[in-house]
Amino acid sequence: MNSPEDYRSSAGKAAADTRLHSALAKMRDKVGRNALNLYTQVDAQADPRLKAKDVRRKVVNNLDVVLTSLAAKITGRGGHVHFAPTDLDAVEYCLGVARRHGVRRVVKGKSMLSEEIGLNAAFEAAGIETVETDLGEYIVQLKGETPSHIIAPAIHYSREQVGELFAEKLGEPYTSDPPTLTAMARKALREKMLTAEMGVSGGNTACAETGHVTIVSNEGNIRMSSTMPRVHVVLLGIEKVAATLEDHDVLLRMLTRAAAGQKISTYVSYVGGPRLEDEPDGPEEFHLVLVDNGRTRILGDPDFREVLHCIRCGCCLNVCPVYLKIGGHSYGTPYCGPIGAVFTPLTRGVNECHHLCQGETLCGACKQVCPVDNDLPRMLSLLRAKLADGDPRWNVRPQSRGTKAAFAAWAWIMSRRPALDLLLRLGRAVQRLLPKPSGWIRRLPGPLSGWTRGRDFPPLAKESFTERWARTRGRKA
Amino acid sequence: MSTVIERIRKALHIPQGGLSEDTRANVVFAKGAGWAAPAGDVPAGDLPGLIAQIRTEAGHLNLQVHECASAEQCGAELAALAEGRRPEWGTARQVMCWSDPVIQGLGLEARLAGTDISVRTVPERERFDETERAEFRRQVVDSYMGVTTADLLVADTATLLLLGGRGRGRSVSLVPSIHVAVVPVGRIVRTFRDALRRLDARGLGLPSNMTFITGPSKTADIEATLVHGAHGPREMHLFLLP
Ligand code: SF4
Repeated sequence: MNSPEDYRSSAGKAAADTRLHSALAKMRDKVGRNALNLYTQVDAQADPRLKAKDVRRKVVNNLDVVLTSLAAKITGRGGHVHFAPTDLDAVEYCLGVARRHGVRRVVKGKSMLSEEIGLNAAFEAAGIETVETDLGEYIVQLKGETPSHIIAPAIHYSREQVGELFAEKLGEPYTSDPPTLTAMARKALREKMLTAEMGVSGGNTACAETGHVTIVSNEGNIRMSSTMPRVHVVLLGIEKVAATLEDHDVLLRMLTRAAAGQKISTYVSYVGGPRLEDEPDGPEEFHLVLVDNGRTRILGDPDFREVLHCIRCGCCLNVCPVYLKIGGHSYGTPYCGPIGAVFTPLTRGVNECHHLCQGETLCGACKQVCPVDNDLPRMLSLLRAKLADGDPRWNVRPQSRGTKAAFAAWAWIMSRRPALDLLLRLGRAVQRLLPKPSGWIRRLPGPLSGWTRGRDFPPLAKESFTERWARTRGRKA
Repeated sequence: MSTVIERIRKALHIPQGGLSEDTRANVVFAKGAGWAAPAGDVPAGDLPGLIAQIRTEAGHLNLQVHECASAEQCGAELAALAEGRRPEWGTARQVMCWSDPVIQGLGLEARLAGTDISVRTVPERERFDETERAEFRRQVVDSYMGVTTADLLVADTATLLLLGGRGRGRSVSLVPSIHVAVVPVGRIVRTFRDALRRLDARGLGLPSNMTFITGPSKTADIEATLVHGAHGPREMHLFLLP
């Protein structure tokens, strides 16, 4: 994870990277700006975001009942269900399955949760070749990097860069033509997918009443990873379930619109267990790993429970003015953008991740486009309040003491007229000494200088409104 | 009970307010008003409109629609399609078909008898041993075309629903470069919601695996440019039967 210093320096670099900005702007224009229009296709009368939110709330508030039913249905079909309290436990479980089957190669479908628990590194350390099969993830993996967007992991690369990468790593002739590049990856990955002994994928949601994990994809890589290898393992956050098929109606239609601007993805797979006896293909063994890793702690705090409603569509990234400038890597964590700025501090420590929740602007765009109407700005403000006041329940040390003192002083002064007048007089005296080439102050002194690093500051007026009122007694009126 | 479930119950303060688990289950699994499955198929009079809609959607998706007047015509067109295509991997031409009366009715084997194209059908057995599965897998991998039917066809998005089960390999609609689905128009429903309602009406006796398929495989991972044929079939055809 990035330290606050890393965050500042990589964000600084990214903020100057115009190529990155135009790449991210494509997602903004294609998906982010469109999302609200597309939602009206789901329901033109009532706001479907609120309906989706209701569905999510209902499930999250009854999570024990829903998960118990899901687990029972899947075990009933001969699948295995494992509840993993921590990331380490989840990784251990996956390694155990791989060892039992003597697995040498794993193919993976896109899963942010596997990034969260650090599965790839653990597999590689155990000598198991781990191949990402989503084209974007594959590019990122060949490059030795991590994804920079929840939905479009390689959005920060140009076609030329991908061409050079494939020429170097796959020994293919250089081209910058996306169809040809896709065909190269298709060939290289087909081999891997047909020979891997184990497939690992994430899940987008699940259906508790029927006992299925629901996985959407456009490429078909997830169907490959869940059909061709002998073993299929699904990693799912405990919150990412739905109760009924009816819930899927609104959730899936909102998800594909929010994530990719599509009415429906190419493949929506319902996976509910291993191959049955009379089926000629499909995995011999099926494992569902339900991962907690800090989620039950969030569940226990009504202030933050809402963040568990998230369906990881990535739409809030596409409209976030901060994300669009600094890109996903600056966040230095699997979940970036506004959702990451709330979820990561809650799971990895608020003090440790203070820069994430303080880096966002509270503009509110993320709440507007969120398909489940998640109030991320509210939760960002709450996290900042905890940083100022401290909160033993979340082990938060008060850390923004300087800020807190400054605001307390400000409040004190603002509620006392004579003190404010004194401060204004002082300010006017000081500003006379400051350079004002265009009538505006170029540089503020001392701790205020940060404000003027990128912009000028308007000088105080010669006379405040109250002073003028006192002088003229509102004569004109 | 697993630790995680215990933690969840603690976080939710359960038992709380005297609501029993059954009551909560009733709430969370309750069906909305108007969810119950539609009584029958869509009226025949609505079919032309729905088929037109499928054609429009299919156009955006790069899914090719062939409306056939009879199984006879369908068989002939499908055979012609198979003859006109070269395999993407390897050189031998093989077609793998689901074992299903709709597909058997096309007489593909007889039509392609004089050519280099071999037609195979997913074997129907009580159980498959290791060797039989390996053999089936090899045959699917060697096929350049997979022919399936669909249990439902959603007009709103031109989406096929394929249920898994006996005689229906999951890989047939996935591994070959060309996927052909032959669907009687009586299986058309209006929306995704209607499809889910039909599934629900089966009394949850759902198979271990089912897939909604909307057009050929695609990706937009390089500079958000749309390309067809990522990992699944790069070409897809829908044959509509009366
Ligand atoms: S917070 Fe909302 S918009 Fe952001 S990823 Fe989650 S569901 Fe999507």
